[in-house]
Amino acid sequence: MISDVTDFASLAPAYPELALAIGAIVLLMIGVFTKSNSANMIMGVAIGLLAAVTVLVIIQTESGLVFNGGFIQDEFARYMKVVVLVGSALTLVLSVSSAAEHALNKFEYPVLILLATLGMMMMISANDLISLYVGLELQALALYVVAAMKRDSGRATEAGLKYFVLGALSSGMFLYGASLVYGFTGQTQLDEITRMISLGGSGIGLTFGLVFILAGLAFKISAVPFHMWTPDVYEGAPTPVTAFFAAAPKVAAMALFVRVVYSSFEPIARDWQQIVIFISIASMVLAAFAGIGQSNIKRLIAYSSIGNVGFALVGLSAASEVGVQGVAVYMAIYMVMTVGLFACVLSLKTDNGYVEAIADLAGLSRGRPFVAGIMAILLFSMIGLPPLAGFFAKWHVFIAAIEAQLYVLAVIGVVASAISAFYYLKIIRTMYFDEPILQFSAAPGELRLVMGVTGFLVLSYYVTVGAPLADMASVAAKSLF
Amino acid sequence: MEAQIGLGNFLTVGAILFTIGVFGIFLNRKNVIVILMSIELLLLAVNINFVGFSMALDDLAGQVFALLVLTVAAAEAAIGLAILVVYYRNRGSIAVDDINMMKG
Amino acid sequence: MNELLSQYLPVILFIGLSAVIGAALLFVPFMVAVKNPDPEKVSAYECGFDPFDDARMKFDVRFYLVAILFIIFDLEVAFLFPWAVAFGDVGWFGFWSMMIFLGVLTIGFIYEWRKGALEWD
Repeated sequence: MISDVTDFASLAPAYPELALAIGAIVLLMIGVFTKSNSANMIMGVAIGLLAAVTVLVIIQTESGLVFNGGFIQDEFARYMKVVVLVGSALTLVLSVSSAAEHALNKFEYPVLILLATLGMMMMISANDLISLYVGLELQALALYVVAAMKRDSGRATEAGLKYFVLGALSSGMFLYGASLVYGFTGQTQLDEITRMISLGGSGIGLTFGLVFILAGLAFKISAVPFHMWTPDVYEGAPTPVTAFFAAAPKVAAMALFVRVVYSSFEPIARDWQQIVIFISIASMVLAAFAGIGQSNIKRLIAYSSIGNVGFALVGLSAASEVGVQGVAVYMAIYMVMTVGLFACVLSLKTDNGYVEAIADLAGLSRGRPFVAGIMAILLFSMIGLPPLAGFFAKWHVFIAAIEAQLYVLAVIGVVASAISAFYYLKIIRTMYFDEPILQFSAAPGELRLVMGVTGFLVLSYYVTVGAPLADMASVAAKSLF
Repeated sequence: MEAQIGLGNFLTVGAILFTIGVFGIFLNRKNVIVILMSIELLLLAVNINFVGFSMALDDLAGQVFALLVLTVAAAEAAIGLAILVVYYRNRGSIAVDDINMMKG
Repeated sequence: MNELLSQYLPVILFIGLSAVIGAALLFVPFMVAVKNPDPEKVSAYECGFDPFDDARMKFDVRFYLVAILFIIFDLEVAFLFPWAVAFGDVGWFGFWSMMIFLGVLTIGFIYEWRKGALEWD
């Protein structure tokens, strides 16, 4: 048997993961052996490590299977990994200025983020139900701890507890489905499962397994009807952690969803297509209506992220290459918009601490015009107003749905998008037309930088990054077919 | 001749345990520890499935999967207990009905 | 029949030897040890608890920590046993896989040690 582990050169497709794993372990040891508070130094090194791994993912062009077929590196994985790594690195940057207030100034925090990112990269590259499960759990276990990291806060620990219970339930559902799929195909490797399905057709047992796996994964991307943990966890967790939850794991879980349905259940696309269409419609509609009554901005972003997942699933339900390209573009734009939005939320600081209520944003445009301006751009983009990035994200997925003749789905999506505009516009009205009630302090430099960059990218999407991003997503989508 | 215990029996036990676990999470109104036990039950039900299938298919992958599920379940239980201890220190109660700071 | 029984001879010897050692350890203290009883010494002892008390009592939360750490390190055995049994077949690939696993586990152990999780007070 040719062994991967003793032949280092054959591990080339997994070099980025190895670098991240070794880096995280080394940082943990440095943190625990330095006497003084080394949190800031480790945070900086962690951001640098994530940037270095991103570069490694881009320049390490060797694709293929490693670890006896458990791990696959292809264009799709590379694209999604870059999005996840950038999301993780940016959210670490966001947490620098407010680490002390949110009790995140411990060296364990960046290390846990690194480990969660490693789990996400494993999820994206998993080619076997076993490695998929291990990656999923590495990500989830790190996130449970991060959610409850503010140990003296009742809300943060409650968020951690809820996230843990529902996350563990979803892993259980995923595993039960995996056991049925294994039992009825005799394989755990994703491409082997496809082969067995196309040889032997599908049975009722396999369909049950598929439904359980999709339910487990729908929990992870927080699609309706498995969304109920999202608002509570987003509200209770410290804001930088919420930013991380909303950006990186969503992208990774969506990539996993795409890979599972395409590379192992492609022959029974008709079965999962119905399920995906259902959860897509349910997510878009519920998020559009439930967001209206929210008064906490983090809770509102939670519903907005549920809605965004619904829109991304529109592309997936097309079950075509254009659909996958749409999902890839959507998730990249979603990540940028979310990070930018959280940069704005984290800069809403008064002398009494951080502000989370939407009503307190009144008159923000007069005190802090830059923050209010960027926030307005990002919210308009979330609505899907042309020529902002959010419009093109929705355009890509809806084109795919129309090409697949899913007209009803596309119409419902557009209507839900119009309804959700109501609560986004409400925030903009509060910021621009209400009388100011609070004095906000100036935003730290790195938050201004993140806001500026994301605002610029969203505003100039069509002339700058739009075409290359669509091309890269198209290459990524091709590698799955 | 005794009746042979076959794959169907394993799957039935697995399905029953899994259902008990899910109901334990949703119907339990008393104690979070019970929820942790229900989660453990879910994972053990899955393990019975894996080992049963592995036996029926005469394939080792299922047993390897079961072994990994077992260890991950232990890690999950450890983190669950740790979060529960932190939660108890904050709130002085682990009753399910008291987990209601955030709603909506 | 005789042949069958003779195959079990090592077991018989083992049982006999362990009985002798056990009995010796049980009775020698009666003859050798210094006897100086006081009420605290002769009372029943259970680690960390009052021996005669209501069984429905609160546990010190530190027991949880020990239990949590125990679960993690206890379950490495679930990997070690199959590995040890199949050691001849898995070769260097298996050896280095397990060494990497144990290395990561050791890192975790160093972390909890440095954090003081193993100290009771």
